[in-house]
Amino acid sequence: MVVYRTKIEIIGDILVSAQEQTVEQDGASIMQLIRHVNISHGRLSKILSNLVSQGLLEQVNSDRAYKYRISGTGKNFLSEYKKFYKFTSDFGLSI
Amino acid sequence: MELFLEGILNLIGFIIGLIIGVFSYIGYKNTGSPVLFRLTIAFFAIGIGFGIIWSGYIVNEVIFEEEKMNRGIQALGLGIQTIGYFFIAFSHTIKSFFPKSRYFRSVGILPLFFLSAMNIEHIIRAFSFILLVYGSIETIVSYIEGKQKGALAVGIGLGLLAFGEFIAWYSLIFPESIIYSISIVIKISGLLSLFIPISKLPLRKIKFDDNLDGE
Repeated sequence: MVVYRTKIEIIGDILVSAQEQTVEQDGASIMQLIRHVNISHGRLSKILSNLVSQGLLEQVNSDRAYKYRISGTGKNFLSEYKKFYKFTSDFGLSI
Repeated sequence: MELFLEGILNLIGFIIGLIIGVFSYIGYKNTGSPVLFRLTIAFFAIGIGFGIIWSGYIVNEVIFEEEKMNRGIQALGLGIQTIGYFFIAFSHTIKSFFPKSRYFRSVGILPLFFLSAMNIEHIIRAFSFILLVYGSIETIVSYIEGKQKGALAVGIGLGLLAFGEFIAWYSLIFPESIIYSISIVIKISGLLSLFIPISKLPLRKIKFDDNLDGE
């Protein structure tokens, strides 16, 4: 069955992936995010620039390409996202 | 006794509706989710609807010292509650199904003609019942898919509210029986069941400068 994700769910997936890669490495590369979040490069780029401008992600210069680290605000958002993801799931809905 | 129970039901509905509404609003402010926005409207409407009926009882009892409720206020409160139930059902409709054909869209209008001989309060109650049953079934289906206990509590809660509404119809046939009191007790249980998942979540407000809609 095809499962459609809402925009907020995609943002949540990006932040989760960035958080994991921030702990393991110095942030997530575009390729890692594309693989983990399962999203096209074009759409991911738009969302990433939005998340960076909102202060949820930090863009850092790595050796050859940009990497994305989750910020403090991003961590707060992610914790709220997880809480309200459960809340909407309790109503049988997707956030 | 019946009036006392009805007062408790409406007070509990008012409080629980507003608490879940505030929680949904905080979620909407913190995440920008349109689903949480619809739940905010739904639960504020449900809370305000119960509140209007409750205040109607209080005004009637304390100021006018009458035992009978003003039917206009009752219909207004029930109508606002139905808007709330509509938004819960609407969120499920967007998630899982929306009729594409003109035939299915036209079928949605038919009950209006079938029910046209009844008075407005009973039409509103009928709509509430249908919306509650739909919301309950969709939530229980989600529970079956995801096995989340919270979804089961909400599904049962909506189901109990629907069942209470259904039982209340029989009080039209047997007006002086205990049936109406039973329906109120069932509805109170439904409201408490709706509150179970929310009572387990921590409440914390964080603020962001901008919303996330400008993708």
